[in-house]
Amino acid sequence: MNAALFRITPTGWAGLAFAAFAFIVLPSVAGSFWLSVLTSAACFAMAASGVGFMYARLGMVSLTQVGLMGIGGWVALRLNYAFAFPFEVNLVVASIVTMAFGWLLALPALRLRGLYLALVTLMAAGGLEILFATFKFPNGGDGFWGVKLGSLEPFRGPALATTPEAYLRYVVACVTLGFLFIEAHLRLAPGRAWAMIRRSEAAAMAAGVNVTLYKTWAFGIAGLLAGAAGCLLAGSLGLLDSGTFRSPESIMIFALAVVGGARSWLGPIIASVLYRVVPAFLASWGVNTNLAYMIFGAGLLHALITAPNGIAGQIHEAAGMAARKLGWRP
Amino acid sequence: MINWFAYLAAMAAIMLWLSWGKPFAISGIFIASGLAVGSLYALGGIGMVVLYRATGVLNFSSGAAGAAGAMIAWQVAKWGAWPPVAWASCILTAVILTVGYGRLVAPLLAWRDTVVKAVATLGFALIILGLVSFLWKDDPRSLVLPTDEIGARFLGLRVTVTRLIAFGACLGITLGIWLFLGRTETGLKMRAVANDRDLSALLGVPILKVETVAWLIAGLLAGFTGLMFANLIRLEPVVLTFMVIPSVAAALTGRLNNTALVLVGGLSMGVIESMLTLSPELKGVRPIAPFVIAALVLLYNQRAARLVFAERG
Repeated sequence: MNAALFRITPTGWAGLAFAAFAFIVLPSVAGSFWLSVLTSAACFAMAASGVGFMYARLGMVSLTQVGLMGIGGWVALRLNYAFAFPFEVNLVVASIVTMAFGWLLALPALRLRGLYLALVTLMAAGGLEILFATFKFPNGGDGFWGVKLGSLEPFRGPALATTPEAYLRYVVACVTLGFLFIEAHLRLAPGRAWAMIRRSEAAAMAAGVNVTLYKTWAFGIAGLLAGAAGCLLAGSLGLLDSGTFRSPESIMIFALAVVGGARSWLGPIIASVLYRVVPAFLASWGVNTNLAYMIFGAGLLHALITAPNGIAGQIHEAAGMAARKLGWRP
Repeated sequence: MINWFAYLAAMAAIMLWLSWGKPFAISGIFIASGLAVGSLYALGGIGMVVLYRATGVLNFSSGAAGAAGAMIAWQVAKWGAWPPVAWASCILTAVILTVGYGRLVAPLLAWRDTVVKAVATLGFALIILGLVSFLWKDDPRSLVLPTDEIGARFLGLRVTVTRLIAFGACLGITLGIWLFLGRTETGLKMRAVANDRDLSALLGVPILKVETVAWLIAGLLAGFTGLMFANLIRLEPVVLTFMVIPSVAAALTGRLNNTALVLVGGLSMGVIESMLTLSPELKGVRPIAPFVIAALVLLYNQRAARLVFAERG
């Protein structure tokens, strides 16, 4: 087995410490409103990690990540009402189905790149938005679409997590696994292939890297994470609303993944905090939440022009400098 | 050329299928309304293509600039100004925002990937959207034009003059831009820059000036489409900001470089979207039409392409 696979870097330790903090401390101190905000933020962190990793490692822009989350959520709700599977089975199936959708989306990606790829994913996001708005999310009704008016059927959450506190812990554990899943990929053959493709597709091809396979693979991982995130979001709320998965949201989550910094675990966390926690704070202080849009927009421009590694990159640099000053690292 | 005919034949077949068995008086109404909205998709797409070719920036903020303009126009009209002043204020706002971005922010990203430049305009769109939504609280509003009340009879159908203006302006502006690019010196320079920015700079083409003209055209079209969308669809900043997505779809049918194809693409998208209302099964998903058409055209255009090495920006 590859020894480097399990080596924990200082950044990795920080990430694990943060995961432990989010697992142990946050659910104990948050009230019911903040539990729901933090659970939703954790789900979006998982989705942002998928889109951020594709951008940072392959330069591929996907503007349909929240739409893919919607697919994961739809499949999870559909399975929940159609069969009596435990939540975990629904989670796995929803993730795999969304991964397949990711691959389907990757088919044009094999031939398109850069701007055209971003645009084709934007078209997909636009299409998914309309499908969700038209057919709605299953809520226990009959037929394939499973939608009915009136009272909702109860949603079966995970047996391990029956309270909101326990569910936040459950989601944090799943998100941590998702981050570790990406990290493991980066440390094995796919990571090396992606690094080479990012540097030069020509060199990668010449070195025998199957460019098509690895690009599709990346799309699949982003889809898998989005699907799991969608299912976890459905589990948190017990129902989904088509307004959550509109195409502007996909654009926003990509933008925030860039603002947060797409190269490390901290970036998607910052992105999801900006996306879910900051507007909730603004709302609880009585500040107009539209100001959040302005902050996000300015943050995106700032990140693109001056900080290519986003806020997380700046924090890493600052932490590195502090560590050197304290003599912790040569 | 064969592709053109294939596209037109496919669109005509879909329209025929959708209107099969319906009297012309019914399907004609949807064609007329679709042509008006399609004209705006096309105009949005043309503004995008002109700017993209000259500067390499795919401007996602044109919808937001139009939204800001439309809200200003509504406000100016509410203050009791003479209506043409309100309309002019819409176009002026969009021009100031667009040219301002083009001169102040875009140069900072001039040497980055096209996708980074496009994403940056999203940031600008979010700033405008946030500001506009902050200034005007969420209330139902409408932007009424005097031409909404005036109807003209055309092939036995009553069409409002606003819709005729949208369609006429679309044809006129497309022709005007085609003549401008083909017959004027600035147009020649714009084509040169679109073809090769570095070589044009070496030959002494004033890049900054040419780019500013392109941003100006984009701003004018953003203002005009914003005003018409606000009238024909809804005066709501979020809706208007993201009307840019079907415009991108129209631009894609012209492969981001051919304005005539964008015109055909935009018009056919509008008409098919509108005519889908006639189909009981598909009317719920009718706004999906531009995305499906754009995705199919994109895939069709790429059918012969193979995965080759990345090209320059």
